[in-house]
Amino acid sequence: MDKKDIDKKIIELIQQDENISYSKISQIVGIPEKDIEEKIKNFSDIREKILIVDDEMSTLMPLKRSLESEDYAVVEAYDGHEAIKKANEEKPDLILLDLMLPGMDGIEVCQHLKTDTQTEKIPIIMLTAKDNIDDKVKGLQIGADDYVTKPFVLKELKARIKSVMRRPGNI
Amino acid sequence: MRIRSELIISILIISIIPLSFVVYTSYNYSQETIRASIMDNLVGATENTGQAIDNWMDVRKSDIRVISQFGMVEYIEKEELHDYLNNLENEHEGVYKEFFLLDLDGNIIFSTKNHTGNVDSQQYFIEASNGRLYVSDVYIPEVTGSPEIIIANPIKKNNTITGIMAARVGLEQLYGIIEKIEIGTLGEVFIVNNKGDIIFHENRSMILHENIKNNFAVKEVTYEKNGIAEYVNYQEETVLGSYYWLPLYRWGLIVEMNRGEAYIEVLALGRLTVAISLFAILGVILFTIVISRRITEPIESLKDGAISLVEGNFKPIPVSSKNEIGRLTEIFNQTAKELLEIRKKLEMKIDMANKDLELKNKELVIANEELKKLDMLKSDFISLVSHELRTPLSAIRTSSEFLESEENADPGVQKEMLENIIRNVDRQARLINDILDLTKIEAGRMEFRFEQVDFKHMAPLAIENIRPIAQKNHITITEDIPDKLSTISADKEKLIIVLNNLLSNALKFTPDGGTIHLSAKEYQDYIEIKVKDTGIGIEKEQLEKLFDKFYQVDSPSRRKIGGSGLGLSISSEIIKAHGSKIHVESEPGQGSTFCFRLKK
Repeated sequence: MDKKDIDKKIIELIQQDENISYSKISQIVGIPEKDIEEKIKNFSDIREKILIVDDEMSTLMPLKRSLESEDYAVVEAYDGHEAIKKANEEKPDLILLDLMLPGMDGIEVCQHLKTDTQTEKIPIIMLTAKDNIDDKVKGLQIGADDYVTKPFVLKELKARIKSVMRRPGNI
Repeated sequence: MRIRSELIISILIISIIPLSFVVYTSYNYSQETIRASIMDNLVGATENTGQAIDNWMDVRKSDIRVISQFGMVEYIEKEELHDYLNNLENEHEGVYKEFFLLDLDGNIIFSTKNHTGNVDSQQYFIEASNGRLYVSDVYIPEVTGSPEIIIANPIKKNNTITGIMAARVGLEQLYGIIEKIEIGTLGEVFIVNNKGDIIFHENRSMILHENIKNNFAVKEVTYEKNGIAEYVNYQEETVLGSYYWLPLYRWGLIVEMNRGEAYIEVLALGRLTVAISLFAILGVILFTIVISRRITEPIESLKDGAISLVEGNFKPIPVSSKNEIGRLTEIFNQTAKELLEIRKKLEMKIDMANKDLELKNKELVIANEELKKLDMLKSDFISLVSHELRTPLSAIRTSSEFLESEENADPGVQKEMLENIIRNVDRQARLINDILDLTKIEAGRMEFRFEQVDFKHMAPLAIENIRPIAQKNHITITEDIPDKLSTISADKEKLIIVLNNLLSNALKFTPDGGTIHLSAKEYQDYIEIKVKDTGIGIEKEQLEKLFDKFYQVDSPSRRKIGGSGLGLSISSEIIKAHGSKIHVESEPGQGSTFCFRLKK
């Protein structure tokens, strides 16, 4: 069963019976109770969701904390493949994408996301410790919405996140 | 114009003109001489003959004179006289045809032929009557048909003319005189009287019947001249004619020779001259051709040789003589040989230079490629360095900004942030040290202090450095180092760096519960050190890049471990400085072995 269909089914079941138990839903849909709880929690989460893609834990951690304190829901991914998977599953409102990733690099990930109808609308801000113009131009050409060079000022990054999310066409 | 033609023409001009001139002149001269001598001969013969005729006639005249003074004639003893005169006739072999006596009236009173009659009207009678000896004109008696003359002389007694003695004289004997003249087959000899009538000729029928006054010689001789001339005679033939006047008898002796016959020697001379000249010219032409060939042939072969030299297929020219051209040919051959050698050498040099150039070009291209690669590596390196330096910086910056702005944050989170900051500062410091080390090594500015190192004592130091993390990750560390291990020549501090790097590298890529094995083995000249792990192993294509700066093998565990990516580069450079090399053997999933050898 597709993830979307699962979500739909869960919502249908709750609408039918407000007091339905997690175990019952779990039985019907076929996924563990714990996941059902998480999903229901997510349904009620109205915060804007940001996917951070970075292989450096030390960079990712403070950024996550900072964005969470700004009341964003944060999802993490440590490499390109995980990033694409999470983008499809979580449907984030924005992706912060590091360029230097093991395996599939940021540019490839960006290209992939921007050519997939499921994810093409998600705005992407490139994050990189590289500062040469070619990388920036390349990133913007394949559809990145903004580009921030590490080390960045948190305030500035937050402002850029807001600005990109406000843009018409973006959610 | 070709030399040969020039030579032939010049030699011909130089030789044939003077030759022709000489031949022509000598021919002319000889011709004149021959002509003159022929003429002289002819004139001489004519004169001699004329004188002989004169003499002969003188004898006849004196005969008559003697007889007319002979006493017997006066007495006219007829019988006796008859006998005497007949004897005389016989003695002179028919010269005297008849003797006769005339009286003063012209009557024939005595004749040896018993003739009678009167001859007083005859010229000889009239002239002799006047007291003179007279010779008559030539006449031909019908009976004999042979030319005769009559000589008449008065008979005197006491200075008184008593009668006349006359004799008929045959001229037959003159033939004998005339025949002695060389006149050839076509020549003619004849005697004319002063009127131009032929009075004596070989052909007797012509005597007194022909008047050839128109004949040049006849005309001249009747004018009482002597001489010689060329003219056309009465027979319309060109002749050489000699004429001689006999004044006593008013006769002209003419000797004519056919011009061709007379000058036959001249003609022969001319023919001979022409023949000789032709032979000479032919000889000169042949000689010229031979000479010019001898001169031009070596020049021709020199020319051909020069052309072949230019065209590049030169063969030595045969030397045919020892003259200047032969010498020139020798020099040419020598020069050509030297030239060809020089050319060969030059070609070889050019060839070599070309090959060299090609090689250099290739080297340049390769060097250029390498430079480009190097340049790319350099910019890659700079970009990597900046990336690697910015990453911890970024973490520090973000963490500290968080702490600064979120004063009311959870104390646990604050601690987490501070730890992150410290970790990244350390990482940054390590990275900077590594970069500095590597730069030093690469610039050759790192100092190595080689000493005899006992590896047995060094190994535990290196192991101790990683033991805490290994224990945490449940990784076993084993060692296999013989007790009796020779010392090695190495820089102790640098060797520790290498061991640390290799061991921590093994640690990074070995999953929990794995094993790391450090071993040393003694060989004749060196000791081999091995670091073996049971880690994730390395892909073949990644092996080559392993020692590149900042190269880090992709690994999900990497973010747990961190690292500058310079450790293997530095280790490799250090071992290189020890005159050795780090070898890696690995297969994905089978672990890796790093090994190097150090000299004792």
